[in-house]
Amino acid sequence: MESSLIDGLSERISQASSIYSSVGVVLPSNNYNDFSHAMFEYMKTQKSITWVYVTITNPFHGIKKQYPGIIDSLNIRFIDCVSLAAGIKSNDDLCYFLDSPSQLEKLTLEILSFIKESSRDEKSVVVIDSLSSLILYNDDLLVTEFFSHLINNLNLVNAHSISLCIEEEMNDMMHKILYLKNEKILKIKESFI
Amino acid sequence: MDSHQSEMVRITEDSEKISNNKPENGFCKTGIETLDEKLGGGFPNGNAVLLVGSSGSGKTTLCMEFLINGARNGERGVFFTITEPLFKLTQNMEKFDFYDKKLIENGMVNIIDLRIISERLGLDSEKFSAEDASALLDVLKDIADELQVSRLAIDSITALCYRLKSDEMIRDFIFKLGSSLGAMGCTTLLTSEIQPVRHGEIKYSKYGIEEFIADGIVFLGDIERKGDLIRTLQIVKMRGTSHSRSKVAMNLSSKRGVEITPLLKSRRS
Repeated sequence: MESSLIDGLSERISQASSIYSSVGVVLPSNNYNDFSHAMFEYMKTQKSITWVYVTITNPFHGIKKQYPGIIDSLNIRFIDCVSLAAGIKSNDDLCYFLDSPSQLEKLTLEILSFIKESSRDEKSVVVIDSLSSLILYNDDLLVTEFFSHLINNLNLVNAHSISLCIEEEMNDMMHKILYLKNEKILKIKESFI
Repeated sequence: MDSHQSEMVRITEDSEKISNNKPENGFCKTGIETLDEKLGGGFPNGNAVLLVGSSGSGKTTLCMEFLINGARNGERGVFFTITEPLFKLTQNMEKFDFYDKKLIENGMVNIIDLRIISERLGLDSEKFSAEDASALLDVLKDIADELQVSRLAIDSITALCYRLKSDEMIRDFIFKLGSSLGAMGCTTLLTSEIQPVRHGEIKYSKYGIEEFIADGIVFLGDIERKGDLIRTLQIVKMRGTSHSRSKVAMNLSSKRGVEITPLLKSRRS
């Protein structure tokens, strides 16, 4: 049962991201772990892509522990926005540790720098996990401005994005910007699962 | 002919032998792409630019990257330090990937401790007389001329002005320095140390004179957001170029050096 659930979610991500350059995903918090699992399963099938994974929900070391085989096999760089802010000292060649999730300008620079470092022939995809978590640390208006700038910049360098939003953390402003700036919205409902 | 007139004649004479390595489009590129865009191409060639900021704002790093990037492009530079001993300065700069030791070793970028020069000139008094200031000015010009530099940085002009006795001397010194170096086709960065901005009150220099004589002012500040300090950069004034006056966010990356990006400004009223 669980395997088919993950496969189903993974398939939906695959379909959306193969057609659209910016995909927004709205999901209930209960299904965050399933979706996260599905996301990494999908990434496993896309080894030619350069992945930039921005984590604001979980610290990098937790993700690494959870998906060790997958991460090691991918062309992936992480940007961890929460470890240092939580006082967790970390060091890993795969990950850049941002001082704080409120340094949004620095976050944009790091994302774009990772993309520029990658080969131009390879497709780059930025995963934001999650956009709604950023409003726990920032003014929501600032987060919408950040997201708007980021998507505009990613379009300029032909990079794609998948932006997660936890339904319970979202407000009207976040809804508006998510729908405005993404080409496709995937709404994950418990009824579907 | 009084001393000021004779100085003006010398400056005019100097302008006739403008350095050959002056970039043709009239701009001295910082080599930081996004900053050059904001400047409308770079610093206008021969400008004397005041780089204003409090401690830790990135003045020294920006100066050094400006010189190193120029050297990579075949433009020789000189960095005069007054605030930091040489070993400390180079130790700090070695943390940045842009800092290329070879460019220092082969003389494309020269780093000189101005305190040592002052001592050698016998200028060891607390305050300089007009003659002392004139001697120091001549030495700076001679070094720039001898090394054939087209980029020069003084870190900091505040520390140097501290030793000048009066506002008139400060005005005269900076005017003559900027004019002479400008006439040699040398683009100059002068760092200006200020206290952190409080209650929105901005001062561009300690003595309130430097900003009126400089051709340009680049203000390095910071804003506080949720307890984090975000570095900012703003081009306040730059003669000879149509430049942006927006405040942007600045980052000092050990890998990529100085980088700027739009500052997020949205705020609930």
